[in-house]
Amino acid sequence: MKRLAVLVVVAAALLAPAAASAHPLGNFTINRFSRVEVSGHQLYVRYVLDMAEIPTFQAGHIDARAYARRIARNAELVVDGKAVPLVPLGTALAHPPGAAGLRTTRLEVILAGPTLSRKVSISYQDNNYKDRIGWKEIVVGPKARSTSDELRAYPKNLLQSPLDITSVKTQLAPTGGPDVPPALSSGKTLEAPDRVADAGFSKLIGRHHLSALVILASLAAAFFWGMAHALSPGHGKTIVAAYLVGRRGTPWHAAALGAIVTATHTIGVFALGLVTLALSAFIVPEQLYPWLNLISGVLVVAIGATVFRSRFRHRGHTHDHDHHHEHEAPSRGSLVAVGITGGLLPCPSALVVLLAAISLHRVAFGMLLIVAFSAGLALSITGIGLVAVYAKRVFKRASFEGRLVRLLPAASALVILAAGLAMTARALPKVH
Amino acid sequence: MKRQRLILVAAAAGLTAAALTLGGVLHDSSSASPTAVVVQGPPASAGAQVSPGDTPALVARLQATLRGNPNDVTALDSLGLAYQQSARETGDPTYYTKSDEALHRELALAPRDLIATSGLGSLALSRHRFREALVLGRRAHAISPTTARNYGVIGDALVELGRYQAAFKTFNTMASIQPGLSSYARISHARQLLGDVPGAISAMKLAVEAGDGQGEADAWTHVQLGLIYLSVGRFKAAAAEDRQALFAFPDYAYALDALARAEAGMGHHRSAIRFEQQAVNRIPLPQYVSTLGDLYGATGHPRLAQKQYELIGVIQRLLVANGVKTDLETALFNVDHGIRLHASLALARLAWRERPSIDGDDVLAWALERTGHCGEALRYSKRALRLGTLDALKFFHRGMIEGCLGRRTAQHAWLVRALRLNPQFSILWAPVARRELR
Repeated sequence: MKRLAVLVVVAAALLAPAAASAHPLGNFTINRFSRVEVSGHQLYVRYVLDMAEIPTFQAGHIDARAYARRIARNAELVVDGKAVPLVPLGTALAHPPGAAGLRTTRLEVILAGPTLSRKVSISYQDNNYKDRIGWKEIVVGPKARSTSDELRAYPKNLLQSPLDITSVKTQLAPTGGPDVPPALSSGKTLEAPDRVADAGFSKLIGRHHLSALVILASLAAAFFWGMAHALSPGHGKTIVAAYLVGRRGTPWHAAALGAIVTATHTIGVFALGLVTLALSAFIVPEQLYPWLNLISGVLVVAIGATVFRSRFRHRGHTHDHDHHHEHEAPSRGSLVAVGITGGLLPCPSALVVLLAAISLHRVAFGMLLIVAFSAGLALSITGIGLVAVYAKRVFKRASFEGRLVRLLPAASALVILAAGLAMTARALPKVH
Repeated sequence: MKRQRLILVAAAAGLTAAALTLGGVLHDSSSASPTAVVVQGPPASAGAQVSPGDTPALVARLQATLRGNPNDVTALDSLGLAYQQSARETGDPTYYTKSDEALHRELALAPRDLIATSGLGSLALSRHRFREALVLGRRAHAISPTTARNYGVIGDALVELGRYQAAFKTFNTMASIQPGLSSYARISHARQLLGDVPGAISAMKLAVEAGDGQGEADAWTHVQLGLIYLSVGRFKAAAAEDRQALFAFPDYAYALDALARAEAGMGHHRSAIRFEQQAVNRIPLPQYVSTLGDLYGATGHPRLAQKQYELIGVIQRLLVANGVKTDLETALFNVDHGIRLHASLALARLAWRERPSIDGDDVLAWALERTGHCGEALRYSKRALRLGTLDALKFFHRGMIEGCLGRRTAQHAWLVRALRLNPQFSILWAPVARRELR
């Protein structure tokens, strides 16, 4: 199931890499929200302005008070047929980080309206940024629900179009309580929480200037990213571990496996990148993934079968345990095969990095990043392999000598076989 | 109830047809040349059921239908296409993501669905994934060989991939299956590519007449007609068409941009700046921002110009962060403005591989000229002009290449040709051409 999820992500990354966009509503929206409410006898408007990367850049330095005055001027309030001015009371400004190292803007303004002595009819119209696209929302009352949580969390629902409410007509009366102006947000709440910075690894390539330090830091980051990535689903960790246990691998074998995984993964990313660039006339690259999945599935089944068969034969031949290292130690060929299954499926974020690097003319840098990423991946896998190898030795030393240890290799062969069959079964329906 | 649903489906079908064939216009005119407007996009004869301008209403109704029945295949199809139409109308690219999602969900329910397949094809065109669009268009064609709009998707992709003979054949077949706005507009573009400007104008006029006089599709045809006039320096006629487009569909960014360029051609720089600013406010496409910067530069506001150019740098960073393949327009902008020329040449080569059309040829030729590779530049310039397209900017590029190779007579002849065809072919380069001739 997890593997399937990975596949879906892969397909999505290939189909629509636009997913990394930082402002949830697109990079050039200006979004507006007003909450009209009465506290005591006083009418207030809590106004929120949320600007994505491009308008923020266009605005340059933002003077919150000047913005507040302009917003107040363009917000028309009519009470009982008479236009009433709004006066800014306070502002709060933040620049949540957006995509490509750019900033976005969130400005909150509290506007004070007239004091009400009785129930009045009110019409409120927001004329700010009329010709700009974006989310436009107005709610009435302090408790009224905002669909976007006051521009903090835009619905990502397929069936929700951006709201386009720029005016409202209603009746308002003074409330019983004391006059408390609405509060401004601060800290984390002010920094819109659903602003996603772009996905970690892909971000590295988008940096503007490259100094030696930045390059080193990026390489280190790519390395650690690779290490962490190896621990996410996939990448044949189970298979590597099971294989080393089943075949009486040594630490040396574990290290070799890691190296092979790195090489395969690096080559795989480069090759798929090439295919994406050069052969896209004939195939849509996302169609390649099911095939790669199938190939690694079949490969794993073959490996599992070999391990299992040799185990079986071995048991049939002799009852000796310790004099058959020569037979059982992993052969070079099968070691390579296991390594390839671990690295065959290129990680989508690595591919995105390579393609971005090519388009930014930092091909060498991109390749280096991917090598670092793969090396991190390999280190993790080697580590897992080593744990498996040593764990088995500990078992031995504790002289559990008996059923359990003797069964372990056969069981691990079965684990490999089962994993391979599952991978194949999952890949098959997708290949057509 | 049943009847209401029938009306909804009919309206959706009409809009569907429009959206499908229109899909792709959004990225529109490569600033490579005002003439070589990207071809995808002529609207289909929108069904009479769709009253113009009711896309938001239709979207709302389809959303309501789907809330009741999330697996309603027809509604998903229509919603996917209605979202594409919304993207065209508002310029908001997030509708593309929604459209993608809706159509993919639909395909998961009905794997060989015609509308979803060709809808994804037109979506791919909008996103400049021309090879993917071609694959999808052909897949849709295989599902239903007699559907005219599939020919539109295939032909548009072929044009962008530089396979003109195949593209023109496809358009001919399309026009014979279904004469109408969308096929007339494509015939017009084909004629324009072949250098037959009067023929292109008359075909586009047919397309304008085939529209029912309102809405975005209609505005689009007016803008296209205006762009043909613009390419041959008939600025007044161009401005008139653009104003008609704005009348049919107010705040239409493509019309605002085209009108700004027509005004600039007439020397009305102040109003040109105003319209271009409105277009940028609507949709900050790099080519609009670049034109605005050039206008500021031409009117003696170097600092304002610089600010626009910086904004383009920001937009490019965002595009890369969003995984958009860097484009021909980016390469041309960098080359035109002398930004990191050698990197830009590499960019132009990359863009050319993605889009080996005559525009790709021309941008690559120009990048080669600016970096002193004039022999190779000449080869690509010849490719760019191989169809006989009348495009003053391409003529100008050729002239500069000939000059770089030391052939003064040829240089002179090409520059004269460029200025004769359109004395104001470019805010940036028309003055340069005049200076060279002095």
